[in-house]
Amino acid sequence: MKKYSLIAAGMFLALAMPGFASANEEHGPALKHAEIDLTDQEQIRRGLTVFTDVCMGCHSAKYVTYKGLMDYPEIGITREQVDELRGSNPLTAGLITELTPEDAKVSYGKVPPDLSLIVNGRRGGASYVYSLMTGFEHDDSGKVPDGNFNEYFPGKRIAMPDPFSWLGHDEADTKQLEQDAADVAAFLAFISDPHQNERQAIGKWVVGFLILLTLVLWRLKVEVWKDVKH
Amino acid sequence: MLDTIMQTKLFAWVDRRTGAADIIKSQLTEYPVPKNLNYMWNFGSLALLVLVLQIVTGIFLAMYYKPSAALTYGGYTVAFDSVERIMRDVNFGWLIRYMHAVGASAFFVVVYMHIGRGLYYGSYKEPRELLWIIGVVILLIMQGSAFFGYLLPWGQMSFWGATVITELFGALPIIGEYLQQLLRGGFAVGDPTLNRFFSLHYLFPLLLAAIVGGHVHALHVVHSNNPEGIDVHSDDQKINFHPYYTIKDAFGVGVFLTIYCYVVFFNPQMAGYFIEVDNYVPANNLQTPAHIAPVWYLTPWYTILRSFESKLLGVIAMGGSLAILFVLPFLDRSKVRSGRYRPMFRLMVVMFFVDVIVLGYCGHSAPSETLKLVGQIATAYYFAFFLLLPFLPMVEKTKPEPEGI
Amino acid sequence: MTDQADQSRRNFLYIAAGGLGAVAAGAAAVPFIGSMFPAADTLAAAKTEFDVATVEEGQLVVIQWQGKPVFVSNRTPELLAQLDGHDDMLKDPNSEAIEEVSAEWMTAENRKYRSIKPEYFIAVASCTHLGCIPLYKPSAGRKEWGTAVPEDWPGGWHCPCHGSLYDLSARVINGSPAPHNLHLMPYKYTSDTKVVIG
Repeated sequence: MKKYSLIAAGMFLALAMPGFASANEEHGPALKHAEIDLTDQEQIRRGLTVFTDVCMGCHSAKYVTYKGLMDYPEIGITREQVDELRGSNPLTAGLITELTPEDAKVSYGKVPPDLSLIVNGRRGGASYVYSLMTGFEHDDSGKVPDGNFNEYFPGKRIAMPDPFSWLGHDEADTKQLEQDAADVAAFLAFISDPHQNERQAIGKWVVGFLILLTLVLWRLKVEVWKDVKH
Repeated sequence: MLDTIMQTKLFAWVDRRTGAADIIKSQLTEYPVPKNLNYMWNFGSLALLVLVLQIVTGIFLAMYYKPSAALTYGGYTVAFDSVERIMRDVNFGWLIRYMHAVGASAFFVVVYMHIGRGLYYGSYKEPRELLWIIGVVILLIMQGSAFFGYLLPWGQMSFWGATVITELFGALPIIGEYLQQLLRGGFAVGDPTLNRFFSLHYLFPLLLAAIVGGHVHALHVVHSNNPEGIDVHSDDQKINFHPYYTIKDAFGVGVFLTIYCYVVFFNPQMAGYFIEVDNYVPANNLQTPAHIAPVWYLTPWYTILRSFESKLLGVIAMGGSLAILFVLPFLDRSKVRSGRYRPMFRLMVVMFFVDVIVLGYCGHSAPSETLKLVGQIATAYYFAFFLLLPFLPMVEKTKPEPEGI
Repeated sequence: MTDQADQSRRNFLYIAAGGLGAVAAGAAAVPFIGSMFPAADTLAAAKTEFDVATVEEGQLVVIQWQGKPVFVSNRTPELLAQLDGHDDMLKDPNSEAIEEVSAEWMTAENRKYRSIKPEYFIAVASCTHLGCIPLYKPSAGRKEWGTAVPEDWPGGWHCPCHGSLYDLSARVINGSPAPHNLHLMPYKYTSDTKVVIG
């Protein structure tokens, strides 16, 4: 038996191994860790504000509806706050930017991606978003103009102009900007999979129950197999 | 409890019309199984369980999934939107979808363990050759089904995975181009491809269910092998399937479900192994992701494909690596079944397991010179393992097998 | 199966495993059956917002609510006057057969109008017979409509499928195959002219 468990363990290790390897394959510096807590309603709400004030100038999150902002307990803002945000949009509309794809193409050369799934859809997830927001630097080689150089972006040249004005910001503002970046990363991480907290809450019961059931089945197996003489 | 049911009048009524009692006796309560099977023999029943799970979750997902590549706002498509609707709006849709996605990987984990057990203990040998061959058919249909299913969310990996694999068929001489168009229903992967893949993704599991029936039937004719690999004749070395193995299988199911649910509820993406990161990006036929690789369970064959400079050779080798499984029962000439009594085979087969893992690793990683060489060596060993088997009995000194179990 | 204690332990384990297994199977059915009920976005679309000011005087529009057609008619004082004097022709002049939408606004005097604001009438546009959408025939008498309507036609709706007739408050007229008045649904005014239906 031991041998097989070793083989099984080996297989799982081998499965896990490439994960570390491919993380190292990525070019560019290691990501900065985003301090996020998806059970922290305050942080997600702050992130929502950053999203609607800054990101939504160009980006959408079409899978999140205004109604969802009230209904998800992790956000849970009031009807009045939602009404203020949505203006004349229906409650069931997604968070969609007023910048049309055509105008975006003219201004930035490409259409900004929808952010509903950005945390699931990028290696590094929330930390990638956080690093990107706080990663605008001056390109010493002078090839990329200021505001488009970001060493966390693949190729280091990003079409999105420094949304938080991170480059050349006042030293005194660093903490606030980092907080904003972490908050919006938390919001985006939440909307990438809005049932994740519920899932884990249910999961504790499910797995706990299955462990109990498995223990009972194990004892039953041992008991019934007493009949079998070796 | 089964006895109580079988004594009822209702059961008697059914029995007179179906012969149910005989079936239950011959297949369960009086079906003889060697008493020394170890826990590696649990994976067959687990595979059946996962098949049922996949079919059930799939049927419920199909109630909301829409196979259409029509574009919607933000570069998404109707298909992608319908998956996100399942994840966000459908009651427990997130659970059913994660069960299905994790279930696909769990299916392969379980089936690969099942195949590995068969290899190690020589379960493919006389008289179980056909049982093994049916099993290989099941494996191929599973891989096809998984490949069709992976296109459905219409993410970047869906699209480019399907593009790469259908491109392979184009490498075949003469028929290649036609075969490729036949699969795609167009000149590139597109809406017709998505529709036919959905249709086939629904059909294949039903085929699987039927063929699994044949697999189980064949098993019940030739009976289970056992870790010693010897024929078991005396009755005191066999026990009835029910209750002994039903309960042992139930315990295995408990262990499996606990691990499975842990993954479903706490780590369904498995760091990009079960649902790849790039598949959260909607399909874009004008931009290939920086690094594309199939899902983990197909990567060993992907490495074999990549190990050859010539596209045609690669395709032939990949096809051959699966086809060779069909003839395994006839390549292995040794009369001894179990690896326990075949020291050289045992070493070779354990190396083969490691080899497949190495192939999987290479196929998953971004291509590099070193990995390419490693992949080529691993590919060479993959084939060497099978091709050396006929000659093994000439040099191998097997250990004496025991009289009984 | 050596002694009594073993046997009872075994029975206990059988029952415990069977019981827990049954609970597991029951719990597993919950998400699957649950998934077949309307999804959150379907429920969110269960309310329809509408601005009644967009309906011109004397006109009728048909809007959608929960995938069903809904009549919104703007009744002029003349049309409202046509509601009087034919109670004896109606199966249920006071809409008492079915518990109506909300006792709050269904006061004694507006049972005749069957609406919050007399001028704006809102009802489900499905004939209570077999669900066809009735035709709007607001003027009284046969002048415009011919023999499709009775001579003493008070104005209202005529169902083309099986000839059911309703007056301008969609109260069913005697002799129609339809059993009930057109159904009303819950709605409320969020501003002077904006209604939320549902």
